[in-house]
Amino acid sequence: MRYLPHTQNDRQTMLDSMGMQDMSALFADVPSEFYLKEGEIGLPDALSEAGIVKKFINAAEKNRNAINTRCFLGGGTYYHFVPAVVDYVISRGEFLTAYTPYQPEIAQGTLQALFEYQTMIARLTGMEVSNASMYEAATATAEAALMARRVTRKTRTVIAGSVNPRYRAVTQNYLSRLEGDYVEVDMGILGTDLSKVIAEIDDTTASVIVQYPDFYGSVYDLVPLREACDAHKCLMVVAFSDVSAFGLIEAPGAYGADIAVGSGQALGIPMAFGGPHLGVFACKQKYLRQMPGRVCGLTKDADGKRGFVLTLSTREQHIRREKATSNICTNQGLMCTAAATYMALMGDEGLKTVANHSAAALDLLISKLPSHVVAASGAHYNETVLTFESGKKRDAFIAEARKQDIFAGIPLEKFDKTIEAKHLLVATTEMIEEDDVNALIAAMEVAS
Amino acid sequence: MSQQYSSVSGMQHEEPLLFEHAHEAPESISLPGVQADAPSSLDAFKRKKAANIPGLSEPETVRHFVRLSQWNHGIETGFYPLGSCTMKYNPRVNEQIARLPGLAHVHPDQPEDSVQGILGLLHELQGWLAEIAGFKDVTLQPAAGAHGELAGLMMIRKCLDARGEENRKKVLVPDSAHGTNPASAALCGMYTVEIKSGADGRIDLEELKKHLDGDVAALMMTNPNTAGTFETDIKEICQLVHDAGGLVYGDGANLNALVGVARPGDMGLDCLHINVHKTFSTPHGGGGPGAGPVAVNDTLKPFLPVPRIVENAGVYAIETEDEQSIGTILSTLGQTGVYMRANAYISAFGKQHIHKIAQDAVLNANYVLSRLKDKYHVPFEGLCKHECLLTDEWQNKHGVKTLDIAKRLIDLGFHPMTVYFPLIVHGAMLIEPTETESKDTLDAFCDAMLEIAAQCEAGDTQALHDAPLKPIRRRLDETQAARKPVLVWSE
Repeated sequence: MRYLPHTQNDRQTMLDSMGMQDMSALFADVPSEFYLKEGEIGLPDALSEAGIVKKFINAAEKNRNAINTRCFLGGGTYYHFVPAVVDYVISRGEFLTAYTPYQPEIAQGTLQALFEYQTMIARLTGMEVSNASMYEAATATAEAALMARRVTRKTRTVIAGSVNPRYRAVTQNYLSRLEGDYVEVDMGILGTDLSKVIAEIDDTTASVIVQYPDFYGSVYDLVPLREACDAHKCLMVVAFSDVSAFGLIEAPGAYGADIAVGSGQALGIPMAFGGPHLGVFACKQKYLRQMPGRVCGLTKDADGKRGFVLTLSTREQHIRREKATSNICTNQGLMCTAAATYMALMGDEGLKTVANHSAAALDLLISKLPSHVVAASGAHYNETVLTFESGKKRDAFIAEARKQDIFAGIPLEKFDKTIEAKHLLVATTEMIEEDDVNALIAAMEVAS
Repeated sequence: MSQQYSSVSGMQHEEPLLFEHAHEAPESISLPGVQADAPSSLDAFKRKKAANIPGLSEPETVRHFVRLSQWNHGIETGFYPLGSCTMKYNPRVNEQIARLPGLAHVHPDQPEDSVQGILGLLHELQGWLAEIAGFKDVTLQPAAGAHGELAGLMMIRKCLDARGEENRKKVLVPDSAHGTNPASAALCGMYTVEIKSGADGRIDLEELKKHLDGDVAALMMTNPNTAGTFETDIKEICQLVHDAGGLVYGDGANLNALVGVARPGDMGLDCLHINVHKTFSTPHGGGGPGAGPVAVNDTLKPFLPVPRIVENAGVYAIETEDEQSIGTILSTLGQTGVYMRANAYISAFGKQHIHKIAQDAVLNANYVLSRLKDKYHVPFEGLCKHECLLTDEWQNKHGVKTLDIAKRLIDLGFHPMTVYFPLIVHGAMLIEPTETESKDTLDAFCDAMLEIAAQCEAGDTQALHDAPLKPIRRRLDETQAARKPVLVWSE
């Protein structure tokens, strides 16, 4: 077996040195009734490396992908450009095959990259501090709700109906075994009116969670929410699905968010059918000690040289156990390195260009819509909802688009089956060219 | 002394922070897409102040991160015997296949007929994990081990509730358990009671019995436990918990000791989370991503999370609803890219070789133990499984602690073992060599450990207290870092 260095001789020499006859002696403490017979486990025959490559190429060819199609799918995952350098950096064995940096003297590479990641995420989201990642956006949102309960010592959670239904489902699930109200505010489809959300905030409210840009891609003013949070001393949590927006529009911090959470997948991380992605978690400095997850901090070594360590570990499960701020241990470390590399390559200008192109593509699409398809009104970043005259007409369009190898969008009822089946969630990024938009519009015309 | 012209000297480099590369940002990377600005409807929302992300040119970016990488130790660089972490070689072909466009650039909401290939690979892996662990079904949704614990406990909670036993909220956790166990239980609205380990480091049946009453929801156990020894009474333990009306949760962090040799599901456990970033060799990435699929028996199968992948006559579909399910715990199916690597890894071993993983892992750990046991205190006698536990008791007499030994190992060219865990012994050193290390490497490591022990006995301990001297940084001041936390750079 090519991954195992021992020869039969090595094995026997080692067994002999311990006075053991054969391998079975190593398992004498396992009751024999549990032994599996070698070779009888229900797995297929071993594959050579060439066989593995062939197997996966064959399987991959059964899928369509964003490169050989025109992909207008969003809903939390976006087809942004991944520069070659990002993948190269995270393929370096020193980053890829290191563990969590428990021995900082020989993990300064990972640690400095995490520190740079935290700094750039704080700046991009307009927040004061960032952790070194959560799994993805939905669990990050749930962790934000939990953190707000610890900070405020209150238990009511209010969440806007315009938050991605998957983030809501996970948050509700995380909270369902704990005491306290969980209130989802029905804002109607495409609703951005925060007044109903604000009306649900009371003095027992720990946090109010909104999404910005919201699940339907709407960009709207969060100032009234900050005022309501101040009035009731509850934390304002702003979730987001595509962090690339903040290269262009005001970030959650500018609205006074206490916690900003969301997906960092746009920062150089492939869609990979749903993961591994990156959960961004940033907050105000004063709440730092209630923040979940790993953080990297600046310090000095014994010679006074600048260095970095994982810090504030007394919040974490391996020290605090049942009183920890979260149960999270392994997180998305490598994705932080990817995001840091991506942001360094882009800089302010590159990030702004990504956001401009993403938004411009949607604007172009909307400007070309035939009269029987209506886009949601108001300001949108790179995602919107198209409404068709009927479900039948929408589905005919989706089918026609598929024939042209276009993934036209996600039917809204896939997220929430109570929504009438005539809406389509459509997203664009800088990977959408003008001819992709034209092809989508052409399919719309054919299907009508 | 001559002037310093560069941050590199003798090819040892200092690398500034990105933010200290003090020149104006160069022309940024060329980007595709609709070459226009955002619509005017967004004007009112535009950032008033740039985020201040420093852009570097491509060559500078590469050099910056390559230099940082060189300050890191990884399994590809050298031996990495971190106990409880299973730092084994990560096959390169797995990286290659995971990057195929048909796997890496697939959107999770594509229609099912456009993702049959990847659904097939995931479904196949589900079946293999169930077979290897000895259970009936598997969920791939949990994103890491601790997330798997949460999923498992949620299923246990739901199962007990379905039995009308909402009152059962006590989770028994051995004092040797991973810290994630009690933290996960707390998230589930349950409380934990610690059971004291017996004199041999194992669960003490008499002690366990004392806690088995009508409040017990579950026992969370790791087998082999975190002292590296097999819980020989496993069958009786499961029976006792079941008789008391509770369920048994298995923390599969140590599955590497058993894979292909014996199956936790056959021993009476109700579920087991599997750390694929340990046992199934997906790279740790400096702290993730991992994945924590949970295998379940018939008792817990109805409560598996959704979405889940099902097969019908060779066609794969994603089920998103189920009355009895605990619901959803992630916004997607799971860490799919990680699972591609795990599938490739198991494919390489197949039924002919899979047991060699555990055999060689256990052989290596026992070999290290046998070479070190005369010079280091072994708290629990007998066979170990895939990792061995030592303490610093004998070195304490010479004023040397586990931390000193660990840091000295760095100077001698080895990543230290896990230190001060498990908590049940003082000054723990938990060594997990894994099956992918050669005898030469194990011997070199043992020789280094024996040199350290000899230095202690000779009273020649200054080098141990000063260690490490050779890496880019010496011991770092963790107290200062925590007292005045600086988590972001400010100019």
